[in-house]
Amino acid sequence: MAGMRVLLVEDFLPLARSVSQGLQETGYAVDLATDGAQALDCLQSVAYDGMVLDIMLPKVDGLTILRRVREKGSDIPVLLLTARDQLDDKITGLDAGADDYLVKPFAFPELIARLRAVMRRRYGQRSNVIQVGGLMIDTAARTVTCRGNVVPLSAREYAVLEYLACRRGQIVSRGDIWDHVYDFASEPSSNVVDVYIGYLRKKIDHGQGEKVIRTHRGLGYSLT
Amino acid sequence: MLRSLRVRLGITVSIVLAGVVASFALAIHAIAARALLHDLDDRLAGEASAVGGMVEQGDNGVPELEFESLSDFEATPEPAYYDVWLPDGRVLARSPSLAGRDLGWQPTTSDVGEYDNLSLPDGRAGRSLRVRTKARPEDATRPGVAATRGDQTVTVMVARGVEPMVATLHTIARWLWALAIVTLLTGSGAVFFTLSRGLRPVKAYAAGLSQVDDTRLESVSHPSDLPSELDPIRDKLDQLLARLAESFARERRFTADVAHELRTPIGALRTILEVAQLRERSPEAYRTAIAEATQVIANMQALVEDLLLMSRLDNRQIHIQRRPVVLRDIVDLCWSAFEARGRGRELTFSNQVAPSVSIDSDPEKLKIVVMNLLSNAVDYTAAAGRIVVRDKVSPLGTGLEVWNSGPPIPPEVLPRVFDRFFRADPARAADQGHAGIGLALVKAVSDVLGMDVSALNVTEGGVTFRVEPRKASASA
Repeated sequence: MAGMRVLLVEDFLPLARSVSQGLQETGYAVDLATDGAQALDCLQSVAYDGMVLDIMLPKVDGLTILRRVREKGSDIPVLLLTARDQLDDKITGLDAGADDYLVKPFAFPELIARLRAVMRRRYGQRSNVIQVGGLMIDTAARTVTCRGNVVPLSAREYAVLEYLACRRGQIVSRGDIWDHVYDFASEPSSNVVDVYIGYLRKKIDHGQGEKVIRTHRGLGYSLT
Repeated sequence: MLRSLRVRLGITVSIVLAGVVASFALAIHAIAARALLHDLDDRLAGEASAVGGMVEQGDNGVPELEFESLSDFEATPEPAYYDVWLPDGRVLARSPSLAGRDLGWQPTTSDVGEYDNLSLPDGRAGRSLRVRTKARPEDATRPGVAATRGDQTVTVMVARGVEPMVATLHTIARWLWALAIVTLLTGSGAVFFTLSRGLRPVKAYAAGLSQVDDTRLESVSHPSDLPSELDPIRDKLDQLLARLAESFARERRFTADVAHELRTPIGALRTILEVAQLRERSPEAYRTAIAEATQVIANMQALVEDLLLMSRLDNRQIHIQRRPVVLRDIVDLCWSAFEARGRGRELTFSNQVAPSVSIDSDPEKLKIVVMNLLSNAVDYTAAAGRIVVRDKVSPLGTGLEVWNSGPPIPPEVLPRVFDRFFRADPARAADQGHAGIGLALVKAVSDVLGMDVSALNVTEGGVTFRVEPRKASASA
């Protein structure tokens, strides 16, 4: 379930930097907050698809952030990270509204798998595989097959396709795609989304009668 | 068994009680025996007097007996006996009960009488009174006759069996025995009962104590009726348990904190390495990952060494070697390690310790104190601030002050800055590899050096950390 924008809140910089790098390389757009106040600022301005949240944080601790987010009615999938492994800590975390819980030190693939799972649940998916028409998107393996043929995609192309697949049937604006697929650090460009949609069409729709990605003028794109 | 207070007290009290009761019984028995013997002797005297009263002066100088029948002296199954002898031993008269037998003549000169125990002619044990009696004149109304006939004396001996007295004494003895046994049993029972009852709260207390383990140290309840003699033990136990509970809690907290402080860097290390292996990378990217991992390991190593030192300090495994130390030199030496970091944060450092100041201390341990105080100052002083180290002379000796220009420490945080793993602001600490143990080390090392540490916000601005000779015992 890559192709999503994730907020990573972690104050220990070596850990924050490496997790952030790993998430980006897995295909997520990552924003990093190193304290609670910064995290709340980010949450106010951006609609994230998921959050990886450390509990012990300077300024505002993770559980407080979590409660505030839930009080506002947000259903953002949250994976809690903590160095405490006592049962009470886990219960408190889950009761505060966390979707899952991971104790440090963790295996990075487990973090990815758990994050994928909590985000999948948000989009009502039970399995890692999303099917749209003849298109099969395996979000765990990050592979796409079209009528049985493997479609080779770049990380960016895959991210855009997966985001559209998660919201299949809905019209997704260019701005939305930009927000969920690109880091803040990336250079914004008016037509970069269109360029990737173009690449995807060439690879997926090539030789097919029906178009999988539709353009809605002035509104955005949809996957049908 | 003999270590049981109940048994020991019970046995002692029973023995004492038995002694007292037995002495009491013997005394009563002796008094009763004396009284009964006295009664018997009175009776013998009365009977001797009655027998003597029958002897009259005779005409030929020989007394005569005016016989009267006395029922006790008749020939009955258990009779009394009398014999009356003339001074030359000839028998004047005998009780019919003697039936020709003899009580045994002996000359006597006593007018008062001689009592004696003897075997009666019928074989019974008996008691006798032998007394010399003057024969009474034939006609008491003619005193002149008596004078003419002179004094005529006889020896009267009366005897009777002692078995009624002995029987009474036996009855008394039996009663006394019964009373003694009942008293002894009741007394001992009462002692055991009282002791058992008195020791019940002790048992309850012991049961409470047996429930104690390292998770339930404070839950020992005291029975309200615990004997007051045990108050000192109870108080000492309470104190001991409270200290133990505190120590266990500290240990648990410490272990949890250590786990926490190590998990985060280990987590970082693992993620750095796993992310590095996610794909093929350029040598440069690998070098960056390795450098980052090395830095994390260096921080962990410093933390582990600090923890080890702390543990040795806790267990008093640190040897102190005192010698004169020039304070200013130590401060300069320590600062050299932080100079670059201080410059990076544009901090101004000033060592204002007088060159002449020398104290008697362990230089290596003192260095740990100064290093950690300076490290704290470098990390927590606002950028472009100032750090000043001064000596502080007091009547107790010379100490050291590390002042920085602030920001001040929040008052609610101030009492906790020397606590282990306490961090006022984890943000900066995490970045600099602190685990909140530096100031705790300062306190622990100062402690073994016999110094007190304190932190205070100075009214003129800034924060001062002070290390000075301990007030209670400066030479500790």
